[in-house]
Amino acid sequence: MTGGEPLLSVQGISVAFGAVQALAGVSLDIARGEIVAIIGPNGAGKTTLLNVISGFYHPYEGRILFQGRDRTRLRPFEVASLGIARTFQNVALFKGMSVLDNIMTGRLLKMRGSFLLDAAWWGPARRQELEHRAFVERIIDFLEIQAIRKTPAGRLPYGLQKRVELARALAAEPTLLLLDEPMAGMNVEEKEDMCRFILDVHGDFGTTIALIEHDMSVVMDVSDRVAVLDYGRKIADGTPDAVRADPAVMDAYLGVAHV
Amino acid sequence: MAQLYAVLIGPFADMAGAPLFLVEVLIGGIASGLLYSLVALGFVLIFKASGVFNFAQGVMVLFAALTLVGLLERGVPAPLALALTVLVMIALAFAIERLVLRPLVNQEHIILFMATIGLNFFLEGLGEMVWGANVKKLDLGIPDESFKFAGVLLNKLEMTAAATAAVLVAVLAVFFQKTRIGRALRAVADDHEAALSIGIPLRTIWVVVWSVAGVVAIAAGIMWGAKSGVQFSLSLIALKALPVLILGGFTSVPGAIVGGLIIGIGEKLGEVYWGPLVGGAIENWFAYVLALVFLLFRPQGLFGERIIERV
Repeated sequence: MTGGEPLLSVQGISVAFGAVQALAGVSLDIARGEIVAIIGPNGAGKTTLLNVISGFYHPYEGRILFQGRDRTRLRPFEVASLGIARTFQNVALFKGMSVLDNIMTGRLLKMRGSFLLDAAWWGPARRQELEHRAFVERIIDFLEIQAIRKTPAGRLPYGLQKRVELARALAAEPTLLLLDEPMAGMNVEEKEDMCRFILDVHGDFGTTIALIEHDMSVVMDVSDRVAVLDYGRKIADGTPDAVRADPAVMDAYLGVAHV
Repeated sequence: MAQLYAVLIGPFADMAGAPLFLVEVLIGGIASGLLYSLVALGFVLIFKASGVFNFAQGVMVLFAALTLVGLLERGVPAPLALALTVLVMIALAFAIERLVLRPLVNQEHIILFMATIGLNFFLEGLGEMVWGANVKKLDLGIPDESFKFAGVLLNKLEMTAAATAAVLVAVLAVFFQKTRIGRALRAVADDHEAALSIGIPLRTIWVVVWSVAGVVAIAAGIMWGAKSGVQFSLSLIALKALPVLILGGFTSVPGAIVGGLIIGIGEKLGEVYWGPLVGGAIENWFAYVLALVFLLFRPQGLFGERIIERV
């Protein structure tokens, strides 16, 4: 981990849905420029953790600091405006809109100015739209989706939808990017592409990334650090190699004999 | 043969024979078409932003008109009364967001639709409780009389209403098509969660569209109210917006405009030129028959998003 204060600091958060304890006192620091993988068996609370960070759920206990300031009770759109972008496990694209428009929506927060100017499609408003359009085209090139720019997102195969969702998140120029199973349901080739994109995003834009993933070879290749959740608790946190050798992690994945 | 002639050729011969009269009929059609478009736009905006088919749109028209007339009757000067009515409709939008939409977020569309039916009855009752149920006259100070322009006979009241509707429709269309609000609206309509994640404040968007729908309802209420008095039947004009929506597509702003004009012009032409053949009153059912035909052959409407089914 690099020195100085972490970009994101999750401190002892607990979330419950009725009687189900989804997260129990989980802490996690993410340093600027890191790629952190969050792994764990099904139902371990990985997605809940991501939802808490992005403001969809609020913990009943604990706090979240982003860039050193308390961000525990922000709502999703406020979290987005702080520079945290995310993708969803089950792809949440705007299915009726073209790929280009989907990615443009990622720029909404970057757009400023009066509605009247917008309406008149005049002067600064027009220039602004064109600037954003140029930025979006760069992302489209970057993720190699030029060929499908005009296609409605709902008609794309699943693998490409995931890529478009990543593009929309990138369009917001996030400081912290949260990816919920970016490679779920992909074939080997698509997974390799996605791996490359994640590493390129990290390398070219310096984006800090937290991702949930099940594919262990991917996790080991991509991440600087791995945090393991089981039954709502963090049971391990360290380099990929250290985590792989951790007996508690083996137990969580392979089951443990309770005598 | 004679019947075929009467249906297929006679009416067109009549049109060609009296072009000035044809222009009058067309203008009348455009005038009422613009009003249909205005009401339909109220539906489209809310449908786009929250995926809700707002059953209460018609009652919002009645409620707005009742409030305005009620204030006028109590001696409030007209500009102030109008401003107050706008405030009431905006307050209503806030209340609807807080009490109806927010608790039902991410529910099935049918549940939200049912909620607007409830809203419909609530507003109807509230309006009559506060302002009374008798027919009220709304006098705009524009005489309901005709004048001749370039040999064409026009009605002052109708022309004023049409011009106002045209301006409103144009402003709304540009506002929601060309601005980033338009993109935000489409995003919200498509996927609430995703819209939140890219930083769209859902609640603000909802309050905005319901407020705009409320203002549209005021405009429609004033225009229809001036024509036929402020009374319960005002809430039924929303029914006329249904065929407009089916024609234009539920999600399309240009569709609502073009759909309204087609129905306005179509029913006037039908009434005047083909009406006598079937004993008149085409105006009452023309729009619905046209809507049925569209449902059979182009269910997504002229401009609606295509319904794609994967097999």
